[in-house]
Amino acid sequence: MGIDSKIRQFFFPSLTPKFLIRVCLVALLAYLFFGYLCIPFTIQGMSMEPTYHNGGVNFCWRVRYLFSEPRRYDVITVRFAGSKVMLLKRVVALEDEQVEFRDGKLFIDGKEMEEPYVRLPCHWNLPPRRVEKDCVYVIGDNRSMPIENHHFGQASKNRIVGVPLW
Amino acid sequence: MVKIRYLLVGGLIVIIGIFAFFYFFPNEEKKVKKQFHLLSEWVSKSPEENAFTMLQKIKNIGTLFDERCELKAPSQSLSGSYTREEISTYAGSARSHLSQLDLKFYDFHIFFPEKEIAKVTLTGRLTGRSGTGEQVDETRELECVLKKIERKWLFSEIEVVEVLKK
Repeated sequence: MGIDSKIRQFFFPSLTPKFLIRVCLVALLAYLFFGYLCIPFTIQGMSMEPTYHNGGVNFCWRVRYLFSEPRRYDVITVRFAGSKVMLLKRVVALEDEQVEFRDGKLFIDGKEMEEPYVRLPCHWNLPPRRVEKDCVYVIGDNRSMPIENHHFGQASKNRIVGVPLW
Repeated sequence: MVKIRYLLVGGLIVIIGIFAFFYFFPNEEKKVKKQFHLLSEWVSKSPEENAFTMLQKIKNIGTLFDERCELKAPSQSLSGSYTREEISTYAGSARSHLSQLDLKFYDFHIFFPEKEIAKVTLTGRLTGRSGTGEQVDETRELECVLKKIERKWLFSEIEVVEVLKK
């Protein structure tokens, strides 16, 4: 078989039963992988700037917490509504910890936390509150807007879908 | 040859009959979904909507609700028990503030804990434009309870699920 015919065979393969079975298998595997394990998503909103940008594309790796628990500073996806709408937020506190904001600084159990991922100015004040059992406290990296306009708080671990792939 | 023809015609009639049966005698799940589609249709508003259509839609919205409907929302100002007339009034008032409004429901999960009660978890998305040109785009997870009263499924409870608790 010459090179020309090999190239032709690659781009225009013969529709043999073997080929069709292979195509069906690949389509099925792709459907299972991208439908249930590694879900593509687009980012809408600026709550995670500058870490993740509005309009960015990523994948939600669903098996990350199959055998482990979320840790502080993990960026996670939280199921917000149905199976298609998710929030992309960062875990700042774990269950039974006390969360507080004083002039934009995060305090966990009274101790100030370093947050190098927060690049924009923040002057939030939030009285202390305790994270409930089986919950994590999540918040976006972009805290330049008034505290009332930012969607954050404690989320049940049952609602954690996975983590962004990058 | 004649037998095959009769078999084909007979088969076609059976298939049409099955489709007609499911179309004209929908199951309870379809009837419940239909109520949401009607709510979506009557709440939605186009910029060209005339006064007569508006009044008709506002009147129709009330017919989808039970005598009293319980609303639970994270915002305490909205939570409470409302009569169907109050719901029509508030819906009309809310619609008048927006020049364009689109309400869509998807991701339905319906189950029947009792014979004439349906519990529905779904996603509701409200998009539109206010009179000042401001864009509105809100998505929420909802938990609704519908009761079958005089062969009609009516909304008796609507809860906006709070995913993140500050």
